[in-house]
Order: sequence, then C-alpha cells, then structure tokens
Amino acid sequence: MHVKLWGTRGSVPSPTSATTRYGGNTPCVSVRAADGKLLILDAGIGLYWLGGELLGNGFAEDGEAHVLITHTHWAHIQGLPFFQPMLIAACNIHLYGDGGDTPFREVLLRQMEHAYCPVPNFFEDHIGATLTTTQLNESSFRIGATTITPRRVNHTPGVPTHGFRLDNGKSSLAYIPDVEYLDDTHRRPALELADGVDLLIHDAHHTSAEYESRRGCGHCSDDIAVELAREARVGKILLFHHHPDHDDDVIDGVVSRYADIGFTVEGAAERTEHILDSS
Amino acid sequence: MKITFWGVRGSFPVSSPDVIRYGGNTPCIEVQTDDGTIVIDAGTGIRGLGKSLLARGVSHVDLLLSHAHWDHIQGFPHFEPLFHDDVSITVHSLRHPRHTLSSIFSEQQQESFYPVRLEDLKARITFVEHDDGEAFEVAGAHVVIRRLNHPGVAGGFRIEFGVRTFSYISDTDLNGECLLASDLPATPKIEDIDWLRRLRQSACDLGQSADLMVCDTFFLPDEYDSTWGHSRPDDFVEFATEAGAGTMCLFHHRPDRSDDEMDTIVDACRAKVKGDLRVLGANEGLEIDL
Repeated sequence: MHVKLWGTRGSVPSPTSATTRYGGNTPCVSVRAADGKLLILDAGIGLYWLGGELLGNGFAEDGEAHVLITHTHWAHIQGLPFFQPMLIAACNIHLYGDGGDTPFREVLLRQMEHAYCPVPNFFEDHIGATLTTTQLNESSFRIGATTITPRRVNHTPGVPTHGFRLDNGKSSLAYIPDVEYLDDTHRRPALELADGVDLLIHDAHHTSAEYESRRGCGHCSDDIAVELAREARVGKILLFHHHPDHDDDVIDGVVSRYADIGFTVEGAAERTEHILDSS
Repeated sequence: MKITFWGVRGSFPVSSPDVIRYGGNTPCIEVQTDDGTIVIDAGTGIRGLGKSLLARGVSHVDLLLSHAHWDHIQGFPHFEPLFHDDVSITVHSLRHPRHTLSSIFSEQQQESFYPVRLEDLKARITFVEHDDGEAFEVAGAHVVIRRLNHPGVAGGFRIEFGVRTFSYISDTDLNGECLLASDLPATPKIEDIDWLRRLRQSACDLGQSADLMVCDTFFLPDEYDSTWGHSRPDDFVEFATEAGAGTMCLFHHRPDRSDDEMDTIVDACRAKVKGDLRVLGANEGLEIDL
C-alpha cells in the first residue's frame, strides 16, 4: 500500500504561513493498493490537490477511484465539488458513506444545491463521471485485493461516524480521524480496527493539556491516541486532524514527547508518503 | 473608514506555500467606521477576524452577505463571537426567491454537517433580507445593495461614511452572458440583453467615484468562461476607470493562482491604467484607511 496525505487539518482549512509543513487542508488520504486500485479516505479540501495529481497522470482516460467517507461533517466532504475527475465522463467514482437517517446520497446532494454551489450537480445532471453511492454498514467488503472493514466509532451526536481498516494480507492501515473515547465501549471498535496495523492514522485534535476542557466535543488528544496505538501494537501512528489553531511548532512540540516509546509517532504532514509494503 | 482584508481567495480555501503572501482564506473584509463594525462575507477569513474582534471587545457587527455560495458563508460556524452571549450580529443580504436568509445559515449547521446548530449559538443573530437597490444604515454608514451578474442571487455593496465611499463588487461578470436564469425575480419578463444592461448599471451605481473598489478579477483572458459569473482584470481596469474610482483592488483570486502570478497580474494592470487609478492586489492582512 502506498499512502499519501493530501489533507491533515481538522474542522476548517487553516491556510497560514505557520501551517505550511503539516498543512492546512481538511482530511484526504490516498491509498494506492498493490493491485493498482485507488482508495481515497475522506473528501476534505485535500481532495482538490489529489485530483490535480491524478489528472496529471492520465486519470482522465479511464480513472477509477473508491472514496470512503468516515462521516459527512463539512471538513470531510467539502472537497467533492472541487474534485475535477467528477466532471470527466471517462472517470468512475464510487462513494461510500453513511447519512444516518438520511440516505447518504441525499446528504451529498445537499452540498450541491444551486443556492450554495455553482459547480454543476454531477450527481443529477448526467454530466461527468459515472458515480455510484453506497450506504456503509459495519460489514467488511473488498475493493480488488483489499478488504475494507468499517466500524462505528463515537464522535458527535446526529452524524454516524466510521473508522476504517484496510488490509490486503501483506500490509494494513487503520484510519480513525474523528473519535472520542468516553468509556471502554468506545475504545473496543477502534482497538479492533487498529489491531496490529502497520500504520494508524488517528485523531489528535487536542493537545493533552487542552483535552479536559474539551471533553465531550468528539475528539481525542495526542496522549489518548498514542495510548490506543500502544495497546493495539501498531507499527506507526500518525497524529491527524490537527486543530486549526495549532501551528507547525505546536505539533512539533506534541510529537517530540514520544521519541522513545517503542514505535513511531509522527505528526501527519501533507504531501508525505508512507509505503507499507514493497510489493 | 478603515478596510481590513481577512480573506481574499475565491471558490475554496487554499493551503499551499505558493499562496502565503496573498493568502488562502475565502472572502471576508472588515469595514470599521467611527460608529461600528461592518463585515462583508463570511468565508474562512472570518475565523481570524472573530478572534481579533473578541480581543478588541467588539460586541456587535453587521454582516453584509453578498451571496450564499459556500466560499462566502463557510467561515460562519467558526466565527468565535457567536459562542458569546453578549454578542449580537445582524446579517443582511438580498432576498432569495427559494430560501430565507436564516434557512441558508441553519442548513449549513444541520447535524449532518456540523456539530453545533445555529439555534444553539449564544450570540443574538438577526437576519434582514433586502430588495435589490435598497438602502439602509449600519455602523453609521449608508449602505446600498444591488444585484449583480452571477449564478443564483448575488449582490454587491456601496458603503458611504462621511465623505468616503467603499464599493464591494465581487462575484460578477461585467461583460459576459446573463446568468440569472432560474433565479430571475417574477417581475415582468424582459430580455437577457436588457437584464445585462441593468446589471451593468447596478455595478456602475455601486462603483461610481468610489475611493476604494473591491473587484472580481478571478479569470485571466485565456481561462475565461462566461457561465461562471466572474470577470477578468482588464474588465475592471476599464470599469473602475470609467467609474472614476480612486483605487481598484484585485480580489477573489483563483485558487491555483500563486503569489508570483498575482504579482505579474497586478503589474500588468498597472501598466494598462491610463489616468490616476491606483491598482492593488488584495492580500490577507492588507489595511486601507480611507
């Protein structure tokens, strides 16, 4: 698996000169599986930049992508209208997510409403890519040789939120960008997703010093994320979903506390690549 | 009147080392008069403004919303003064035929999309819908709102305080095709060409003799698409000159426009100016005291 980070920022894009190293784009991670399948985790603004790279590499000819969306908060879907392959007829884009009481496709359509969005409505106007939308549940499914396991995790009320495990037998990745553990039942699905993975991408929205005053807001702090990684025996954890007020130096400071703990802890940085197997 | 730019980027926020100097936040401009604070548009730039307003103890603002496209409202849920019960905010915009102004903001904060609902915010929020051409007073300033040529219902503003005039004419195609389409008001039918003439006249009314004119310069000539509702720098050099503006300020920069490209565009505009028109490229943090 070839993993590349296109957006690492939580809540709202934070474009400043002090966030250029870790990045200010909202969540988007691309995973190129060993069999060539393209999986995309979340559709924040980072998706725009991924789209540009894909088109530079011939994606417009017959590109196919599978976009797995953890939940429909803005930061995780706001890149969709600006994903240029959506407007290209030869592309095939498959979207997976959960709208809760509302069908997933309908939630995405609300973003395309003409009063808010000048981009042509590629869901309904029969222009551009062939699109499918699939309602997620907790059943595992395969995309090519990769098995995807979604699990419901605790985030905020009113929006069902999933974490994902991607496993191809040789390498594995867990992606849990928005989660809070208020009790052990909340930790169980995350531990299951992260169990022994090569790479865990995990919510670390708050610093540990901030967390007590933010308890109940749906996010983790770095120490809680690292503790879960230790318990799940992961190879490497990327602290992800950075708070929009945390500049590069704040994130450096957080990461520096975990230098010698037996596994790798890094701050998720935009445009970095993480290769999980050599095949 | 003091004008401060908090967000200058069009379409969506751009985080990239290539746009650090001009900035990547979507539109938000602060207008301070002797009597109060006006905010134009609620792009992601409004997040930084919110922190500044709280630090300065400002407890009331009037938000003038040009239109409801995401890049002009997406910062609103992240505007920290809304979480304070001693703050009040009045939102002004053109009347939309299918959406109330309050529903535009409450839809953005539905649980599916955002964890805090509009009705759970602590600040007192009032929504005021205006008709095309209406004049009103905020922060001691005289404001006129006019509809402009852009998909959907979009407007610009003329703000007069004392002897000074500031015009906000973003998100409009001065010279393209008529884009009002399905959102035309149900007034007597007239031809597109007449609508275009009217909309151009609206822009003229907003910009006449402005000391500072904020201009939509999204497109370069070879990128131009007449269905998007955006103009080119040359359109506005001609328009601002005709209007007798003092300074034109390039604004709503295209997402992929780098700082170096912006410098080139600003220089090219200056080279085309005949007369006294001053040309600036809006960058985040730019302050202009009129």
